Amino acid sequence: MHDDEVMDQLLRDAMAADVPQLSPAFGARVMRRVRRRRLKPTGRVVMALYIVVAAATAVWLMRDLRAESIAAAVAIGVPVAAGASAYGRRLAVGD
Amino acid sequence: MPPSARADGAPYTDRADEWLVERCCESADDGAFAELVRRYRGPVFRLAVSILGQEFAPEAEDVAQGVMLRVHHSLRSFRGDAKFGSWIYRIAFNQALNVKARARYRAPHVGDQVLATAPSPERGPYDQLQHEQRQQAVLACVGELPEVYQSALRLHYWLGASVSEIAALLDAPENTVKSYLHRARRLLHAMLAERGFNAR
Repeated sequence: MHDDEVMDQLLRDAMAADVPQLSPAFGARVMRRVRRRRLKPTGRVVMALYIVVAAATAVWLMRDLRAESIAAAVAIGVPVAAGASAYGRRLAVGD
Repeated sequence: MPPSARADGAPYTDRADEWLVERCCESADDGAFAELVRRYRGPVFRLAVSILGQEFAPEAEDVAQGVMLRVHHSLRSFRGDAKFGSWIYRIAFNQALNVKARARYRAPHVGDQVLATAPSPERGPYDQLQHEQRQQAVLACVGELPEVYQSALRLHYWLGASVSEIAALLDAPENTVKSYLHRARRLLHAMLAERGFNAR
């Protein structure tokens, strides 16, 4: 028998293990993860309202503070919020 | 709209990949993306399994899921220069290689050797031992081949893929795949001989 044919048979024997199968729920699981990443229209309206109310409350609460304190709060708060948001998004995507 | 529903007259199953991609990008159509997932989940999983090998096969489903999520995230960057299939398989190939590189540092779930040494009632103990040792050597040698050869061999011999299917998954012409398989067998022959195993 030719070497190539012998090796062919050897490989067939060596790789005769069961073939793994994709779970039947795979498609549904992917679509659930994909949908979770997008807000529905109602969710968008709620988020927009929340941002407006939160901004107005922050301005009202800081009305008596000095400009330096406001600048310091913004300088610390914005990067922390951006980092938390990016982390949350990564968790949602599963990267 | 459910995945099987009609959009603009024809069912999603009759539409080309490019149409579905466009629909996902322009209308954020979940049905169109579900159809892409249905079409490509099997091949992407098989490609991932072929790269990860038997020992890390359980990770292949995670790779396939990660590929689908990444594709959904990057659909807008798909320019259509290549076929959608080639694009998704390239993502799957790279993602599986990354997972394999990380997985090597952990203990495998089930070793190649365990899977390849199912007892055979037809052989005596000595023959059985020799047979097992040779199969272990074959699988160990396969693991030392270049990644694309390993993938081609596993797709062909383990997963039973045809040359044309391997060509699509590895984005290579069929003759190149035949050449991969031939060269891989020759390399294995030499490697086995180096280890003192006679392929015959």
